[in-house]
Amino acid sequence: MSTCAVHLDNLSKQYPHSAKRAVSSLTFKIEEGSVFGLLGPNGAGKSTTVMMLCGLMRPDTGSISVFGLDVLEQGADVRRQIGVAPQEIALFPMLTAYENLFYFGRMYGMRAAEIDAQIKKYLHVFGLAEKRNKIVSTFSGGMKKRLNLIAAILHHPKLIILDEPTAGVDVQSRNLILDFLDSLKDDGTTIIYSSHVLEEAERICSHLGIIDEGKLITTGTRTSIMDAHLDCKNLEQVFLKLTGKNIRD
Amino acid sequence: MKILATVYKEFLLLIRDPGGMALIFIMPLALVIVMALVQDAPFRDYQEIKLEVLFIDHDQDSLSAKVKKAFQASPNVVLIQEQDTAEAKKLVQAGKFKAAIIIPDQASADLRRKTKQLISSVFSNFGLPAEVDSAKLPTIDIRLFFDPAIKSNYKQALSGSLEKISASVQAEWILDELQQQLSEGNEEAPPKIAVDLSKIMRVDQRYASENKYQGVILNSVQHNVPAWTMFAMFFILYPLAGNFIKEREEGSMLRLRLISGSQWPVISGKFGFYFMICLVQFILMIAVGIYVMPLLGLTKLILGSNPLGILITACSVAMAATGYGVLIAVYFRTPQQALSFGSVSVVILSAIGGVWVPIYVMPEILQTVSRFSPMSWGLESFNDLFLRQASIPAILPNVLRLIGFALVALAASVLIHKSRTVV
Repeated sequence: MSTCAVHLDNLSKQYPHSAKRAVSSLTFKIEEGSVFGLLGPNGAGKSTTVMMLCGLMRPDTGSISVFGLDVLEQGADVRRQIGVAPQEIALFPMLTAYENLFYFGRMYGMRAAEIDAQIKKYLHVFGLAEKRNKIVSTFSGGMKKRLNLIAAILHHPKLIILDEPTAGVDVQSRNLILDFLDSLKDDGTTIIYSSHVLEEAERICSHLGIIDEGKLITTGTRTSIMDAHLDCKNLEQVFLKLTGKNIRD
Repeated sequence: MKILATVYKEFLLLIRDPGGMALIFIMPLALVIVMALVQDAPFRDYQEIKLEVLFIDHDQDSLSAKVKKAFQASPNVVLIQEQDTAEAKKLVQAGKFKAAIIIPDQASADLRRKTKQLISSVFSNFGLPAEVDSAKLPTIDIRLFFDPAIKSNYKQALSGSLEKISASVQAEWILDELQQQLSEGNEEAPPKIAVDLSKIMRVDQRYASENKYQGVILNSVQHNVPAWTMFAMFFILYPLAGNFIKEREEGSMLRLRLISGSQWPVISGKFGFYFMICLVQFILMIAVGIYVMPLLGLTKLILGSNPLGILITACSVAMAATGYGVLIAVYFRTPQQALSFGSVSVVILSAIGGVWVPIYVMPEILQTVSRFSPMSWGLESFNDLFLRQASIPAILPNVLRLIGFALVALAASVLIHKSRTVV
C-alpha cells in the first residue's frame, strides 16, 4: 500500500494588488515514490504552489503536509527532507563546481567525507568530473543546469522538487538529466516535476496534475488521464483541450 | 562547521574579486594617506601657527626694539621688515601677509614721557618731591592691520601677544622710572636693579598626560589615521551588501533559504568574515600610520600605552561596521538601493562623527548630533587611548555603545531576514 508523500489541502494564495487568486482551493496528494508532473501554462500557479510547498511562501488558506509533517508548523523539518532545483541557477558563479557542492553539502549538515564521496559520484554521473575545479561562471547553460540539479540531490532528499530542470539546455544535457531522474524512481525517491514540456512529463512522470488559473483541472496517472479523454491522441492534445489555446503571458 | 564553511566561502569569493580586494584594502590605504597629507596644513594651522607679519618701525628706538625682540623669540611669528605704512597696508589687504604691526614715530619717547609723568604724579600724591609735567599726553597707538580673511584664532593670538609685550614693556619702564626718581638727588642711592618680569610669574603649559606619551597632540596623523580607518571599516558594507544582494539575485541565497538551519550560519559566517576583514584593514592602516606616514614627511602615529584597549576598540568598531553592513544588505532589495543608501549614510555618519574635521570645531548643534554617530564613539575611544592614555574603564562607555549598535543592527537583520523567509 502506497503512502502519501505530499498532501495539499484546499490551498489558496492571492498576491497583494492582484485581482485574482494565484492558487485557488488546490487539493491533491502525491504518493511516495512517484514522479508527479505538475503541468500548466504560464501563470497557472505552478511556481506559487512550489514556493508554498517549500515553505518560502505562506498560503492564505489551506494546509500542506510533506511526509506527514506540516509545512507551516514544521518548516525546518520539512526542508530537511526535500531538495529543490529552482528554474534559475542557484549557485555561486565565482566558486568552482566542487566548492559550490562542498559548501551546500556543509549547509545540509553533511560530513566532509560524505560530501566528497557524493560530489565525486554525481559529477561523474552528470559528466562534470573533469570540470570539478573550474569556476562555474565559465560553464555552459547545460553544465550549470546539471550542477544545479546535483546541488539539490546531494543530501539524499526523500522528495525532489524540480522546476523546469531542462529549460535552456541542449538535447544531450536534457537526455542525461531525464535518464538520471528515471533512475531515481528505483530508489523510491518522490519527485515533483514542474514543467511546460509535455513530452518530458510523458517520459518520466508516473502521475500528472494539470493546473490552470490556480485550480487543479485534472490529476491521475498518465493512462487514467488519457482514458478520460479518448478524443485526444496524446498528452499535448489533452493539455490544450483542458487549458485552451489562448496565449498566456 | 556551517559558519566556518561560510567564512571560507566568503574568503574564496573575495580573493577572486580583484575589484573588491582593491576596494577593501587599497582604496582605504590611499584614502588615509591622501587625507593625512591634505589635512596636515589645516591641522598645523590649529596648533602650529606660524604667521608672517610685516613690521613697520617708525620709532627706531627701545620700544620698537623690545617688541621686535619679543616677536623674534616667538615660534609662531616671523617678522618681515617694511618701511612704508601705506605699502604694508596694501600688502595685507591683498592677502600677501596676514597682518602688519606699525610702531608709531616717537613711541619710545612718548612712553618714557608718559611713564615719567605717571610716577611723578604718584610721588606728588604721596608728598614726595617730584616735577609734575601737567601736559596732556596722547595715547601711544601701536597699530595692527589684519587681512580680512584672517582666521579669528590667528587674530586673537597676534593681538594677545602684542598686548602682552606692550604691558611687559610698560611695567619694566615704570619700574625703571620709579628707581630713577627714587635715586634722584641721592648720591648714595643703590645701583638700579634690572628687573626681569618673566621671572616673577610665568604660565607653565603642559599636556595632561602623565607618562612618556606626554605631548602627543591631535595632529593630522593622530586624527586622520583612526578616523579614516573607521570610515574604511564602515565602508565594508559595500562589498558585504553587494555580495549579499548579488547572491540573492543570482539565486544561491534562495537555495540557502531552502536548506534547513542555514540562515543563522549564513549571516553569522558573513558577519565573522567581514569582521575579520575589518580588523585586517585596521592593522594595515595603523601600520601605514606608523611606518609610511613618516616617509611622507608626516609625524609617526603614536598608539599610546594601552594595546588591549586598542584591540577592544578596534573589535567593537569592526562589530558595529559589520553589523551595519549586514543590516543594509538584508534590508534593501537591490544593489543600487543598498549601495547608494549605504555609501551616503556612511559619509553622513563620518561627517557628524568627526572623521572629516574634529568634533570640537563643529557648530554646537552638530556636536550634539555627533553623539549619535558610532564613528564618533569609536573616534573618541581611539583619541582617549592614543592621546589621553585612557584606561579600559574609561573607554568602556563608547565600546559598549558600539557593541550595542552592532547587536541592534544584527538583531534587526535577523528579524528582517526571517520575515522574508516566510515559513
